[in-house]
Amino acid sequence: MRAPLLRPVGLFVTATLLNGCAAQGAPSFSVFGAYFPGWMLCGMIGVAVAVGLRVLFLACGMDALLSLRLFTYASLGVVAALLVWLVWFGP
Amino acid sequence: MKKVSLSASRPLGILIAGLCIAGAVGLGVYVAGQNSSYPSSDSAELDAEVVHMASTVGGRLIDLRVHVNQAVKKGDILYRLDPEPYQLAVRQAEANFALASAEVENQQRLVAVKTANAAVAKSQTERAQTNHDLAARTVERLKPLAGKAYIPWQEYDQARVALNNASVSLSQSQQQEQAAQTAIGDLKSSIAAQQAAQAVLEQTRYALKQTVIIAPTDGYVTSLRVKAGEILAPSQVLFTLIANDAWFATANIREIALKEVQLGACATVYSMIDKHTALRGHVESIGWGVLSADSAGIGASLPLVPRQMDWVHVAQRFPVRIKLDAANPALLRLGATATVEIRHGAACP
Repeated sequence: MRAPLLRPVGLFVTATLLNGCAAQGAPSFSVFGAYFPGWMLCGMIGVAVAVGLRVLFLACGMDALLSLRLFTYASLGVVAALLVWLVWFGP
Repeated sequence: MKKVSLSASRPLGILIAGLCIAGAVGLGVYVAGQNSSYPSSDSAELDAEVVHMASTVGGRLIDLRVHVNQAVKKGDILYRLDPEPYQLAVRQAEANFALASAEVENQQRLVAVKTANAAVAKSQTERAQTNHDLAARTVERLKPLAGKAYIPWQEYDQARVALNNASVSLSQSQQQEQAAQTAIGDLKSSIAAQQAAQAVLEQTRYALKQTVIIAPTDGYVTSLRVKAGEILAPSQVLFTLIANDAWFATANIREIALKEVQLGACATVYSMIDKHTALRGHVESIGWGVLSADSAGIGASLPLVPRQMDWVHVAQRFPVRIKLDAANPALLRLGATATVEIRHGAACP
């Protein structure tokens, strides 16, 4: 049940991160002729990381150690999003 | 499905949660600081100066040497209007100028004649004066002789009449001399007429030159939709020339970040035509004013003040003008979307 769920999410995260490394360019990406700001992509990556970590931690049993899970995962997502922003677009 | 406990009694879990939250908050503050000290905009536009090509004179477009989207060099002939009406006007003005010049010469001759007349009148006066003096001396001489009856009274009377005649002649010739002097006049009016004719001639020559339109700068021809044969009014714009000598990016930067924007600061600009090629530029100037809804009432009879309903005020943005260094012309199109990063980015190491 978990593996098929994990795979596309992981793929997406890896693909976008790799894309970010490969294509150092404008902090703006286009989807069907509309430009979206780079921070929006970072936010999506943060959400994906939070969900991915949740799935990962459930799979390896680490989730049981945690309390205040909502805040923990949200914080991890925020940290991931900010790190991606810093690495990708930061000065 | 495993039941997940929501109790917060595990110290390790609390520690991890606290670390994560603290990390997120700390990183968030750091990123916010970075973001405001390195301003950027993803809604910038590429900009260039334009010239609306028009002639100050009107006429039929007989020779159009450019086509739309063509690149032209400074000094190239762009188009020509029918010069014939302006050539005819030049010829007319030349004839008028020749007429005025001839009139000046004519007037010179007239002045010479009148000067000679005045000289004649002057010598006439001298002659009349001499005659008058002689008559006066004769009367002086005859007066004692007539008083002692050495000569007949008749002779003395004749001398007095002759003196009277000489006086009248003298005053007449003096008046004539004055009139002749006054009549000489000068060349002022004819020279003024000649200068006016010359100015008209130069004006028509200038108008003739305006029938050939020359590119004032390197650039690209845009919005040209007519062919030769079109009739143009004076000052009618035929097309717009986008100057290619300097390109700019106009980025709207929030006022709160403007203090970080120094004139001359390096900027990385990406034209969205190729968003992977960083263009280098430098901040040239920051706009001094924008029109806001609250200032729209200026000029009206009373200030326009909205009732306060918005407690959240969105930051005003000001256009920051960035002059681009030389770049691949394929990336530079007026109005293209651009992203701008001031003081950082790939072009500002």
